[in-house]
Formats: sequence, C-alpha cells, structure tokens
Amino acid sequence: MRVLCCLDGTNVQQVSKATEMLLAPQSLTLGILYVIDTGPRRDIEHTRERFLRPPGPPGPREHEMQQAEHAAAEDILNEALRQLRNAETFQRQGRPEREIVNVAAEWQADLVIICSRAEYGGKNAIGPSSVGHVARFVLDHAPCPVLMVRPLTREQFPIAR
Amino acid sequence: MFQYFPIPEVWKTLLASLVGVVTLVGIMTRPFRWNEAVIAMAGAAVLLLLGLISPADAFLTLIRDWNTFLFFLGIMGLSALAEAAGLFDWLAVQAARFAGKSAARLFLNVFLLGSLISMVLSNDATALILTPIVYVLVTKLRLPVLPYLFACTFIADTASFLLPVSNPINIIILSRFPLDLLTFLRLLFLPSLVVIGINIAIFFLLYRKQLKGVFDIQRLPSAKQAVKHKAFFRYTCCVLAVIAFAYVIASAIQLPLSLVALSGAVLLLIGALFWRRTSLRQTASRISWSIFGFIAGMFIVVRAIEDTGLTTIFGNWLIQLSGGTSFGAVMVGTAGAALGTNLINNVPMAVVMISALAGIQHAPPVIQHGFIAATMFGCDLGPNLTTVGSLATVLWLLILRQRNVDVSGLDYFKVGVVVTPLMLLAGALTIWLLL
Repeated sequence: MRVLCCLDGTNVQQVSKATEMLLAPQSLTLGILYVIDTGPRRDIEHTRERFLRPPGPPGPREHEMQQAEHAAAEDILNEALRQLRNAETFQRQGRPEREIVNVAAEWQADLVIICSRAEYGGKNAIGPSSVGHVARFVLDHAPCPVLMVRPLTREQFPIAR
Repeated sequence: MFQYFPIPEVWKTLLASLVGVVTLVGIMTRPFRWNEAVIAMAGAAVLLLLGLISPADAFLTLIRDWNTFLFFLGIMGLSALAEAAGLFDWLAVQAARFAGKSAARLFLNVFLLGSLISMVLSNDATALILTPIVYVLVTKLRLPVLPYLFACTFIADTASFLLPVSNPINIIILSRFPLDLLTFLRLLFLPSLVVIGINIAIFFLLYRKQLKGVFDIQRLPSAKQAVKHKAFFRYTCCVLAVIAFAYVIASAIQLPLSLVALSGAVLLLIGALFWRRTSLRQTASRISWSIFGFIAGMFIVVRAIEDTGLTTIFGNWLIQLSGGTSFGAVMVGTAGAALGTNLINNVPMAVVMISALAGIQHAPPVIQHGFIAATMFGCDLGPNLTTVGSLATVLWLLILRQRNVDVSGLDYFKVGVVVTPLMLLAGALTIWLLL
C-alpha cells in the first residue's frame, strides 16, 4: 500500500504515530510531502504593487527568501526521514492543498495521511474550526482514501448532549 | 490644441473632467496591468496636448511641489542604503533575540520594530523592506508566516502618522497646509498610539492560537551575519540617529523635510561608496523612478480639474457635509479620505483632497485643523482596509475566486475589513477630542 504523508512543519510525530498504527506497517511504501506555500509570497507582491513597486522584491532579497524556504523544507523532510526511514520524499511549491491532491494522484497513493491543522503549541480545541482549510480541501478533492489525524483531546469530553 | 481652435469654456470643463475621471478610473482598474505612472502621465499628456492646461501652469504646479518629489527621493535613498548596511536584518534578529523564544513576544516585537521604522524611515521601508526580512526570519524559525507578514503590512500604515516623515502622504498634505510640529503631534501622536494599540490587540486576538508556541533559538541567524560591513553599519546607525533628530528640529522650525531626507541619503551614499558597499548604479536601481512620473502626472491632472472648479465643488460639499462643526470635519475628512484611498490609491486621493480643501482656509482654525488631520489620518490608515491596493483589486480577486482560482489577497481583505473600520473610528474620535 502506498501511503502519502503530508507534513506541515509541526506534525512529524503525529504522522509517524499514525503510520505505526496501520496494520503491517512494514509492508507500506511511504511517501512524505512538504509543500512550500506560495500564498504569503503573493501577499508580499500585492503589497509591493500597492506601493507602486514591481511585484518581486529585489534580486538578493528574493534569493534569500527562496533559500530560507528551501532550507526549512529540507529540514522538515530530513526530520521526518529520521522517523519514517526509506520513505520517498517530495518537495513542492504552490498552494499546499492543491499540491497534495496532485501529488497523491501522480504518485498513485492508496492513502493520504494528513493532520487536521498545523499545531503551534496552542490548546487543541475540538469544534467547527478545528479542521483547517488545507485538510478540508484534501478531504474534498483527494483521489484516494484520506486518514485525517486529530490530536488527542479526551480531556475535553464529554461534550454537551 | 484648443488655444488655436477656441471652444466654449463649458466644453473645456467637460473635457478636462472627462480626462481626469478616465485617468482616475484607469489608476483604479489598471487595464492590461499598465503601470499607474503610465496612466497618470498619459492623462497629463492628453490635457497638455488639448491645451486644457498650459505647459507653464503644469511646470509651475510641479515646481511648487518640489518638497514632495525630493522627499520621496530622499526617503527611498535612505531606506535602500540602510538596507545595504544590513540595518533592517540586524534589527529583525535583535527583535527575535529579545523575544526569548516566545512566538507571541516576537509578534509584539515585529509590531514595535515596524512602528519604529515607519516613524523614522516612512511606511515604505516597513512594508517593502522589513516584510521580506521578517518572512525569511519566521520561515527559518519555522513559525506560521501569515500573522507576522500581516503584522508588518498593517503596522506600516498604522504607524505612519507618528511624525510628519512617517508617510510621504503627510508631506504632500503638509506642503499645502503647513502645521507646526507641536500641532501635528498634538493632533496625531495620541491617535497613532491608540490605533497601534488597537491593531496589536485585535491581531493578538485573531492569531492567538498560532502564537502560543516557542521557537528554537538555534535556528536564529547571528547578528554578525546580518551586518555586512561593521564600519559602514556603525556609520549608518550614526547618520540615521542624526537624521531622526534633524527631522524633529526641521519640523519644529518648519524647514522642508525633503532637505533633511536628501542630505541623509547623500551622507549614506558617500559612506557606502567609500566602503564600497554599493555603486551609484545599484543605488539608482533601488529607487522606484516611476513614482515620480505617477505623482507628476497626478499633480497636473488634478491641477487641470481644479481649474474647472470641480474640486472646489467637492470641497464645499465636504465642508457642508461636516455641518461646520469640528466633529463633522474630522468624521467627514476621515471617511472621505479613507474611502477615496481604497478607490484610487492614497497618493492621488491626497492630491485630490488638498485641492478640494483649498476652500477651508476661510473656516475657523479648529475646522481647518480637523480636516487636515483627518485627511492625513484617512489617507495614511485607509489603505489597511483593502491592503491589496484598492477596492477594484478586491473585486477582481473576488471574481478570480468565483472562477475557482486561488487568491491570497482576500486573506488580507478579511483581516482589514475587521480591523480598519475600528481603528478609523477610534482614531477619528481621538483626533476630535484633541482639537
């Protein structure tokens, strides 16, 4: 079974645990994907245009931004590789939700593992906004079954009946 | 042309108004992604060719506003050379160090740093230079990028009326309606602090979940890496400290601020050439020359419309709408300027407003000050509403989204539409109380 694991920079442990929970994890073919989100870069371009400047920042700054993005992506993928040995790595650039479903289709994934949203240390609250827009899009558009990994939130139960 | 083939005055008025409106609509919609400077200059050229403004009048209009042109040149030069010295990178690293691993404290420091840079080097420096630096920093620290990016973009405008030099728009308005430094500070410093406070508070509320984490200090680049040349860096810090002081003195004695900005840029350029940190060509390439064409075009177009009496009618209507009260002046000035900046960008709106407000010189000082402060406030802060530039851009982004094309500008708009009206209201009320 080909399993594509989607990384967001905060979820290596969760994804790794999820693969371990699957039956016969040693027979899995794992792929790990990290997408450099180009959305913020477009926001910077919009701002520059508002200040009547050409969209892209000056050459050296642009280079520095690209370097930082790629270094962070490599770092995240290497960190995941330490947990998920022998996995095939994918690094893409674009809108994360679209890149994930496209890579899943290209790589002929049988399962996509994705976390509900990136966690930056806050309390993992349950509720309507607990699933981020990337996970929602992937659930709606994936070409294969999706395993959405949510953080453990047993302490927030029972909820009102 | 009509100097040789006379036509009735009413036709001249209609033609000048038509060219003016087409130019403004062109700037709003930017057909075929044309540069705004090309559109503004084309409008001015048509008016000159048709004889709807004489070359002498156009020339005098541009000469009269020399302070604005030189200020833009000086401030762009200062920012570009300070960036070459690595000052902004160094400040960003220090902001992260002072945050002591906390994502929330770094967020607050970005706001404070953005305010400081906007105050001394204008909002352009924060929005255009600090933003990509913060982007690189938070990417390296593996923190969520958007909150920090939005913090930079918003604070650039929110902190742009702490001092007259904090936004070139202030210089455009103050060139026509001079205010002494104490009056400027009395009317706008406290409102600045109020809106900065509101901005920070709402952003903390909006992004509270993403700011709870910590970052690994090991991922932080060293301050040494940021400084490209020690001597030039120290020299830049000294020159900027002197310039900041000179700004205050020049504002107090009403000396043109462009001379201070330009002198600072020349001093930094001499240092940069001496230590071989840049060349004249490199520095020139960092200046956006098209801005001068844009402002020149707008000054000429608005001057021609002024001759038709349309801006006077608009001004009289604003004064009438204010009901002759200080409260009305502040509210109408703020709302008019803020809406206008989101329709046609803040530079043309400031030019239109100074032309329209020519009639307030006969009003009592409290009304005059109300309108002037509110115009600066609305033109400076208003762009935060749409941030992407104008309502036309927002509409275009909405159309793209309907066609299932992913667009990021709308994320800004969603935040701007929550934060900006509150800041405008609170700031306008504070200005009114201080009148």
